Amino acid sequence: MATETPDVPADSEEQAWWGGESSVSRIRGVAFEYTTLFATLFGILMVAILLIYVSVDAIEPFTADPVWHLTFFGLFVVPSVTTWVVLGRVNPTARTVGSNTFGMILGGLFVAAGLVIVIVKTYGSIAWFAVSISVAIGAAAFYGYLQKRPRMNIIEQAAVFVALAILTVTGIPAIEPLGTPELLSPIWAFILVAPFIPLEWTALAVTLGPLAGAIAARRVGSDREIETPWTVVLGAVVAGSLAAGAIAATLGWNAEAAVVIFVTIAVPIGIYLDGVRTHDPSAIVGLVFPAVVIGGLVAAIVTTETLGFARPDAWLDWGFLTSVHSRTAEDAGIYPALVGSVLMILVIAASAFPVGVGAAIYLEEYAPNSGWLGQLVRLIKINIGNLAGVPSVVYGMLGLALIIRFIGLPLGTVIVGGFTIGLLILPIVIISAQEAIRAVPDSMRQASYGMGATRWQTTRNVVLPQAMPGILTGTILALGRAIGETAPLILIGAATTIYRPPGGIFSKFSAMPKQIHSWVVNYPQADFRYGVMAAGVVTLLVVLLGMNAAAIIIRNKYQRNQ
Amino acid sequence: MAHEPMEPSESDTDSATETLISPSPGSEALDAGRLATDAGTTEPVIQARDVSVYYNDDRALNSVTMDIPKNRVTAMVGPSGCGKSTFLRCINRMNDLIDAARVEGELLFEGKNVYDDDVDPVVLRRRIGMVFQAPNPFPKSIYDNVAYGPKIQGDTRNLDERVERALKGAALWDEVKDQLDSSGLDLSGGQQQRLCIARAIAVDPDVILMDEPASALDPVATSKIEDLIADLAEEYTVVIVTHNMQQAARISDKTAVFLTGGNLAEFDDTAKIFENPENQEVEDYITGKFG
Repeated sequence: MATETPDVPADSEEQAWWGGESSVSRIRGVAFEYTTLFATLFGILMVAILLIYVSVDAIEPFTADPVWHLTFFGLFVVPSVTTWVVLGRVNPTARTVGSNTFGMILGGLFVAAGLVIVIVKTYGSIAWFAVSISVAIGAAAFYGYLQKRPRMNIIEQAAVFVALAILTVTGIPAIEPLGTPELLSPIWAFILVAPFIPLEWTALAVTLGPLAGAIAARRVGSDREIETPWTVVLGAVVAGSLAAGAIAATLGWNAEAAVVIFVTIAVPIGIYLDGVRTHDPSAIVGLVFPAVVIGGLVAAIVTTETLGFARPDAWLDWGFLTSVHSRTAEDAGIYPALVGSVLMILVIAASAFPVGVGAAIYLEEYAPNSGWLGQLVRLIKINIGNLAGVPSVVYGMLGLALIIRFIGLPLGTVIVGGFTIGLLILPIVIISAQEAIRAVPDSMRQASYGMGATRWQTTRNVVLPQAMPGILTGTILALGRAIGETAPLILIGAATTIYRPPGGIFSKFSAMPKQIHSWVVNYPQADFRYGVMAAGVVTLLVVLLGMNAAAIIIRNKYQRNQ
Repeated sequence: MAHEPMEPSESDTDSATETLISPSPGSEALDAGRLATDAGTTEPVIQARDVSVYYNDDRALNSVTMDIPKNRVTAMVGPSGCGKSTFLRCINRMNDLIDAARVEGELLFEGKNVYDDDVDPVVLRRRIGMVFQAPNPFPKSIYDNVAYGPKIQGDTRNLDERVERALKGAALWDEVKDQLDSSGLDLSGGQQQRLCIARAIAVDPDVILMDEPASALDPVATSKIEDLIADLAEEYTVVIVTHNMQQAARISDKTAVFLTGGNLAEFDDTAKIFENPENQEVEDYITGKFG
């Protein structure tokens, strides 16, 4: 710039080394910086505006008494934020413990809702109990066999495994098109007709309790500083889940829900806090934070209810989540579609995850790189990327043609929807798993091979454990996409509206996006178009954001461990 | 211990190269490549016969013949790209992992050509362990890193004891005995490399191949590794690739000098190589005239 270069004549060929010609490029740089900033903000702002708009429609906060807002602000928001800030100043570790605990409560509620929907409401605790016991018998038999014959070959192992699986899970069912009779009932079918069947909550407690107890014992066992023996942990968890159910039953509450909540919230938090207490006792103060948040919420609700301040007349409320669709907007709910979506996600995860991860392992670890086979593999790899871009409606047609017409599964059932959308997200799962596997440094594989590990041992013990967080993150994000898919559901004949939640994965179903779509197109009333639809959208988004949060937590935990 | 440690005998500086005696009785030696002479100080455990390696059509190693003596430290030096690492990786067939690599000639381990069709490279690598250039512990605990080898071999008897012995063998036990559960990645670079050595000796191999094990380490850590290598040679045969001429002179009993084009220029006792090499190019190289 001229002011900075007084000694140099304006027409001089030689510029001074300071300043000079860079001014134009500097202006360009600034312009570019702000353009990129705008581009970043543009997308975020648009989505944020939409979300706020929809949330306002769903909750209608302005229908509430202003005093209601004030009460909530004073009793809930202010104390929570204050505690958060003060804790951060006084003891940051304690704040981390507090927010982790609070997060575990929220996450536990999410998982509990899923378990209640799938186990308690859809299949029933007794059926779950029978299958669990049956599988446990099978697993014990397999383990016992392994102990007895430690050096059996892989074929014998597989044969025993399949035989036990048939015996305990599937049986040999009747195949109707071939006219074969049922040859063998699985063990659980006998348990179901046993003369003595436990109460529903007891059945849950004696199955979920040991399961959670085993996981907890494993966790405690891996921490050498905690000296509690694993038997005590296991026993405490089982006793606790029985106690939770018994207390709830005596008080007339939902005992099954109590058992599930004990297992999904109390047990993980107990284990976590036990670790905190052992490693950093002062951080236990952090529990003030969740206490204040929950206490504030309860206090605010109790105050507003007793003093009679009108709360917002929200579309999204407990009734919306737990009731079925109705022609009157006030009574309409999303429950059957919510159950449909949860069951479908289970089918999608169970089908797309193993196939996708398997494909990724083959492509990255086993597939040849050279020769014409290598060329073929390269072609496949490229085209998996293309498959990820195929429109979802095309996958819907694939589901219709392949799964319904060719395989012959019934139209509009959960399993068909799950398989179809599973196919849809399969390329995404494969690609993200491939990337996670590729990110495992080659030096790890070399180290493992150098120790005399086989390819399979290397993959199982070194590559997969290191790639798993990445694989899980990618899969959860893909499931997030799956839960919002609508077009394939239309093609495979999922119901627009059903009045009863599906009773299993072979029942007809509707899913949340389909239900939302139906509210928008089939009901001209404004209440449906703005209120009920918005409540449905927020429900769907909360489920989706919860899944994405899980993905982020897994990734962060993984990065901390590195 | 699976094998009896050899009595380290005083190395005769002159004739060891030509000295070949038959493998010890009871080893799985087959008749192939069994050569016998009368006198000698230590028997060869690895014998290369005209070993050449090609990557696609590029020759990385040109007809190398040498005998690596048992329970000695054999160093391989030479400029970058001279084929010394390639040769090292031939010995336990790590080159198999590279599709394009092709090996010609015979490489005998205890008298058996490791490239025979009936040799399982997995079993071979259990006998011939490897330590790599950059420390590469698994992202597992220190304990699990060392226990990895015994676990994959399905031999978990006395695991605690074996882990302790391996860590002691790698001179790491005193530094990590209180933190066996912490991640192997939390250790310093030198400790990580010793952890990798512990991991390699936990499976009790006969031979340990080291590919520039100290090149990523600082001088203090390097000297610890060098001391360790001297100790290891009492029990194991050590083959080490190094860039560092002084290191080879300090720690090795025998030195192989590779020069450009994958040619083995000279292989002899270390003292002889460094004091009175036969090959003029080798002399130029070790005196720093080139390379």
